[in-house]
Order: sequence, then C-alpha cells, then structure tokens
Amino acid sequence: MTIAELKETMRQQPWQVLLIRFAPYILGLIALVILPPFFSTPIQGIWTKFLIFAIFASSYDLAYGHTGLLSLGHAAFFGAGGYTIAVLNLHYGIDSLWIGLPLGILVGALTAVVFGLIALRVLGPFFLMITFALGMLTFSIAWNVRWLNTPGMQGITGVPLPDLGIPGFSWSTISFYYFVLIIFLLCFFLVYRIMNSPFGYSLRGIRDGEPRLRSLGYNTWLHKYLIIIITGAFAGVAGVLYVYYYGMIVPAHLAIGTSFSPMIMVILGGSTTLLGPVIGAAVIEFVGYFASIFTPERWPLILGGIFVVTIMYAPGGINIHLSRLWKRLGERYGSVKS
Amino acid sequence: MEALRVEGLSKDFGGIHALSNVSFSVEVGEHMAIIGPNGAGKTTLFNLLNGQLSPTSGRIYFFGRDITTMPTHRCAHLGQARSFQIISLCPNLTVLDNTLITLHGTKRSRFQMFRSINADTRLLAKAQEALSAVALWDTRDELVKNLSYGEQRRLEIALTVTSEPKLLLLDEPGGGLTSAESADITDMIHKLGRDITVLLVAHDMDLVFGVAERIIVLHYGKIIADGAPEEIRVDPRVREIYMGIEENIENATAS
Amino acid sequence: MSAEAFVLNLLNGLSYGMVLFLLASGLSIVLGLMGIWNLAHGALYMVAGYIGWTIAVHLGMNFWLAVLLGAIAAGLIGLGIERGFLRKLYRQVNEQVLLTFGFLYILTNLSLWVWTGRFRVPFTAPALAGSFIIGDITYPIVRFEIIIIGIIIASGLWWLQERTRIGAIVRAGMDDKEMTMGLGINLDRVSMFTFLLAAFIAGFAGVIGAQFLGVYSGLGLDMLLPALIVVIVGGMGTIQGALFGAVLIGLIDAFGRALFPQLAMFTMYLLMIVILLVRPSGLVGRRI
Repeated sequence: MTIAELKETMRQQPWQVLLIRFAPYILGLIALVILPPFFSTPIQGIWTKFLIFAIFASSYDLAYGHTGLLSLGHAAFFGAGGYTIAVLNLHYGIDSLWIGLPLGILVGALTAVVFGLIALRVLGPFFLMITFALGMLTFSIAWNVRWLNTPGMQGITGVPLPDLGIPGFSWSTISFYYFVLIIFLLCFFLVYRIMNSPFGYSLRGIRDGEPRLRSLGYNTWLHKYLIIIITGAFAGVAGVLYVYYYGMIVPAHLAIGTSFSPMIMVILGGSTTLLGPVIGAAVIEFVGYFASIFTPERWPLILGGIFVVTIMYAPGGINIHLSRLWKRLGERYGSVKS
Repeated sequence: MEALRVEGLSKDFGGIHALSNVSFSVEVGEHMAIIGPNGAGKTTLFNLLNGQLSPTSGRIYFFGRDITTMPTHRCAHLGQARSFQIISLCPNLTVLDNTLITLHGTKRSRFQMFRSINADTRLLAKAQEALSAVALWDTRDELVKNLSYGEQRRLEIALTVTSEPKLLLLDEPGGGLTSAESADITDMIHKLGRDITVLLVAHDMDLVFGVAERIIVLHYGKIIADGAPEEIRVDPRVREIYMGIEENIENATAS
Repeated sequence: MSAEAFVLNLLNGLSYGMVLFLLASGLSIVLGLMGIWNLAHGALYMVAGYIGWTIAVHLGMNFWLAVLLGAIAAGLIGLGIERGFLRKLYRQVNEQVLLTFGFLYILTNLSLWVWTGRFRVPFTAPALAGSFIIGDITYPIVRFEIIIIGIIIASGLWWLQERTRIGAIVRAGMDDKEMTMGLGINLDRVSMFTFLLAAFIAGFAGVIGAQFLGVYSGLGLDMLLPALIVVIVGGMGTIQGALFGAVLIGLIDAFGRALFPQLAMFTMYLLMIVILLVRPSGLVGRRI
C-alpha cells in the first residue's frame, strides 16, 4: 500500500486504540497539573525536585541512551548552570530570571563546548575516564577559586528565588512548582522533537554502527559534539532550577556523585525512551523520599539492588514493561498494531 | 571519463606492507572486480578509497578530484556508497529506520532537529520504493537483527544504491549467501546499468564472472594481473596463486 | 622545605603510593585483559578494611590474620561479582561498567549499615605500633612496613607477569584475545583467576592501608578515584605501569599537600587529561 493509504488507515484507528497509546502522557500531564496542590508543602517540594531531575536525566539519556556516550562528567554542565545563578547573585546582585536562566543555559552549553572538544578525541573506556577527569577538574576549580565561594565557606549560599520583574509578586512553594513544570514541559517537548527528528535517528545509528553512518555521509564527530552541547544546555537548565530550589550550591554538585544520579534514573526508568528518564526520576525522588523516612539505612541498599537487577535482567527499565502492558491493552481493542 | 584513478597507492601497517604501489583507473559505468587470496589487501584498498584509512603514499582521484586524504563522510557526499564485508546495518533499529537513516545521509536534512523524520513523505515514498524492490517493505517494522542473514545482505546492498551514488564499493556482497541469493545480487548489479560505476571485492567466482567486465588480481598488496575476465581466467600467474579456486574458474566457464 | 620535611613527605608519598599501587595494579590488569573498569575495586578495599578492623580491633585478634581474612573476603566478593554478574554481560562494556558502579554503591551502603558511619581509627599489630626517630621527627613504623610490603608484592607480581606461564598468557590475552583463545587457552578461566587475584590484593591493601588511613564508608570512592588516575597516568596492563603511576601520584599528593595544597587535586586531574589526550596507554603502559 502507498504512504497515503497507510496514513489513512492510521487515521481510521478506533479512538480507543489511540487513546490508550497516548494515555500515559495524558494521565501524566493531568497528574502533574492537578495533584501537587493537594499535598503538603514538603511533598510539593519533592514534586519540584523530581521535575528538575527529570530534565537532567532526559538530557543525559540523549547522550547515553541514544548516542551511546557513557560519561561521568555531566555534573559539570549541571553545576555550571547552577553556579551561574549563584555567582550572579553573590557578586552582581542580579536575581532576574530573564538574565539568569538564559545565561545559565549558555554557561552550561559553553562548558560542554570545551568538554566535547577534549573528550571526543578519545573513544570507549578512555572517553569515560576523560569525562570523569574533566568533571572532577571543574569540581576542584569550584573548590579552590575563591571567587566561586561565599567568603568563609565552601560553595555559595543565600541564593534567592528568581526575580520575575513582576511588581508585587512573591513566590510560594506551589507557584515555584508550576514555574518548574512549565519549563519541564518545554524541555520535554524539545527532547521529544529531537528524538524523532532525522538528527535523533542519526544518533541512534551512530550508537549502533558508527563506521557505517560515516560511509553514508554523516560527520559522526560533529553529531556527537552537537548532542553533547545540547545535553550541556539542558543540564544547565536543571542546574539553574536546582539552585533556585535549594538556594545554594556546593562544589560537590560538580563531582562524580551528582553525575551518577541521572545515570541511575535513566537505567531504572528505561533508556532511549521519552518517558523512561522521567519515570526513573519519579521513582528515585518519590520512593526515595518516603523510604528515607521509614527505612533510611535500607533504601540505598534496595535502590542499589534494583539497579543491579535492572541492568542484569531488565535492561529496558521500568518503561519497557509498562509499555508492554499498555500495548496488550491496546491490542484488545483492535487488530491494528499500535 | 575516468570515475576513479589510483596512482602508486601504498599502505603500511608497522612492518606490514598491506598495499604496494597499486595503480589503476576505472571508467564511468565500468563494472570491475578485485580478487585475490585472503590478506591480499582488497579491504585495505576499499578502506583507502572510502576514506577510512589514509595511504602511506600515492594518490586517489575521484572524477578528477584528489580525494586521497578525504574523510569518509565527504567521500559519501561526492558520490561514493559502500557495503561492508561484515554486515554493518544497525541491528537494534528497524528496517525502515535503517532505510530512512541511509536516505538522509547525503541530505542537509540530517541536521534537522525539530521536524519529525516521518514528516517528509517524499523520502518515505522513496524508502517504500527501495524496500519494495527487494521485497522488504512488509517487514519494514522488524528489527534488523531479527532478519535472516540473506535478508540483511539484500537490505544492505539495496540501501547502497538508494543515495544514487556514482561509485559503488561492494565488499564481499555475496559472503555467506546461498547460490540462489548470490544470483539475486548478480541480477541487482546488472540492473544498475551504465550510470553507476561498480567496484566489487568477492571470492565467489560465479558472482565475479557474472558481473565483472574487468578484473584486477591482488596478491600480497601488489597488482599481478589486470584485464578482461577471459584473460584473467587463463593467466598462468593467477592460476598459480589461486590453485584451489582454479576449480571454481573451470566450473564457471563450464556452466 | 627543610630536609626533615622533605624526607617526611617522601615517606608519606611512598607509603600512600604503595597502597595505591596494590589497588591500581589489579584495576589495571583487569582493564587490560577484560576491557572493563571495575569501579567496585575501591569498595573491595573498603569492605576488607572493615572486616580487618572487626577481626583486629573489635575481636582483638592477630593483625596478620585480619589482613588475610580481609583479603579472602574481598576475593570472594570479587569472584561473586565476576561469576554471577559480569560474565553474563559478555561484551556489553557500558553495562559492565554500570554494573560495577552498582556494586560500589551497594557495598558502600551495606558497610554503612553494618558498621555505621563512625570513622575507624588506624590500627595495626602491637609490635608495629611505634615510631622511628629521624632527626627531630618521629616517624611511624607502619609507613616503612607498608613501603617494604609494597616492594615485595610488586616484585612478586612482576615475577608473575614476566616469568610465569600464566603471566605470559595474560599478556598474550591483552595483546590479541582471539589468537590466544585460538591457541586453545581457556581465557575465560584466566580472566576469572585474574579478577580473583586483583580482588584479593585489593582486600589485602584495604587492611594494610588501614594502618594509616583508617576505615570509613567513603573509602570505596575515595580510593577508587586516585587509583583511576594511577592507571591512566602510569599505564594500563602492566605492573610496572601501576607502580610507576602509583609512586608518582603518591608523591604529587604528599608534596602537593605540603607545598601547594589548593592545586594538588587540580594537578592530578589535569595530568590525567593530558595523558589521555597524548598517550592514552599511559606513561609506562602497554600500547593499546
């Protein structure tokens, strides 16, 4: 059948099938918009934190899941964005969102510009190590350079929430949440577009067969470099939001511990998917919060165990299993493949 | 007009001379085969032509242009397409995905980050055309790793012509195929006609003699024979190195 | 810098370097032979340190027994990780690295749970608890002992690498896996043995090192990071590379803390990056 005929059959699919296909996204959106006000303020904070890390994890997955670049240095991009906000406040008294956010994204991306040039010179196990070293290098810069620290302590504290330039406006926990939600949705949409674009397809091609992609006409180095920069920009966004949320940043936010978080979220939730990193972030943040109240010693162990089990036996993460469930529901309603 | 001219091409790896002073030229539309025992340097030659390797010395001219040190992706843009000895399709992507990625390779749209890849209906139609020609349109949503070896080979070869290349480099296209499947490949190459120059590396003598108008024989990195199939068949030097393959040559001439 | 301070830093650097060597040698050989970064290596060091503490301090038993039991425990855990998990991810290098990170995480938190976060002060055998007096400085005996042990182990490992059949097999396996397997050698078994030995030595290092570093739950990461630097800078796949790198890093660390404490960390990571760009196989490593 022709392409036109194919598109027709898709349009004719019973609305039930289409609904089930898009249900996760619709339900998710509804939950994100409607639910948080019903929770207590600390829980609203967790919703906020989850969204911030969902952005971070999604950006990480663009490089890791789609392009196959396993790196240990992206905390530097995250921290770069965060430090931008902190430094603007500390040394220049600038709290405006309209300056801070774009600048934070820029600094995150610029860090990635430098990292990419250096890291992409080597492959495989060396790439992992060089990103690790670059990340730790920025950590030691943040630790040692006095200009990057509030006098008398490590890191920068006392960073206020962003100034929107709206007279008489002041933040509350819930209004900040919706602010973060808007940014998250924007980032989510952009990641979705990149994933399904020809560029996104080329990344997955590079992951699976770089030599072949080159012989097809793709400048694979350039594609990898571009996605690293994009990752840096998104991580910068997450870093900016994080500093607004916590009001402070410390050098440790640039160290390897912070690089591990999105990695765990992506693995758990399912890499190379749109919802996977988001699901992973949700699990880590929400379950982690409640677990830390009831079983603080056991939770990291449980998490570690789930992580190992996921890698060994469920490499598609939670997302694959959920989507299989969903597909089965969809097939019940029609014989057309969803 | 010369599609390809190679002058004094040599490639050393440490102490190993993979290619020594190789020179030849290929006319537009010519179908040429490169044969030789294992280790003779055939794949090395392809890697040099396609930009995966840089020569130790010598020059390569593609339609009059010096491409000696040109990287692989630029070679593709100039009009080269290549298949690999070991099938190198993307195993975890679908047939259609592989096709679409191939089609975008030489187009500016490969940098497109916002529009969906499915929005370009022209390209989708082209993909359908290419896949239907090798009876793979119905399996377009199947992961490549789930296809049979013969289907994968067929797909890989079919994809090499979709970008309308000027030069086709086929490295062992018949490797691992049954004689029926090989015959399909031979047909495919015949259908390509005079617009596409074809360079073929193969061990399967049926394929070689079915396709080639000219044969170059490599041995330890040097050309030891260059001529029409009938000449090569009876060349004593070739027979000497190819003792085991001699029987194949006799069988091919007999059939 | 005064002569005494110089000698002090030299000894500090060498002794720390020796502990790093013990850890890095295993990391390096496993990387060269199996192609994976075992990020859990530092955690093996830490667990052995805790077990050693339990035996030597908590139960008050013989120190060298603690060393042995710590090493054995680490070896067994390492064997478990390799056999039960790493083997099953054959050829999936990214997944293997992530897996070892998972074990680093698990072991760190397991230790936190069992032994709590309290810092364990350095401990040793009663006989070694004293100090030598050099000029105006009293210097702990354990530091000398560690240097000597390090030299002995290094010699032993070097002998193993150069003069034994198994060493030759490991070196051949690093150069050309297919060829070695083609010769009928069960590289799988050799890999297992190598991993086991590396884990055992890491555990040995954990208790030996505890003599001046003590034990705490952050050790898994804190010992891994310099070990990674050692492997990269010194060279992967060889004992001499690990030794060279470890001594170098140990000395940079010691003199760095004394002369320019701010820059020591920065220098090491910068060095790592430069080496990766210029000579990825390391200064004294096997050409990859």
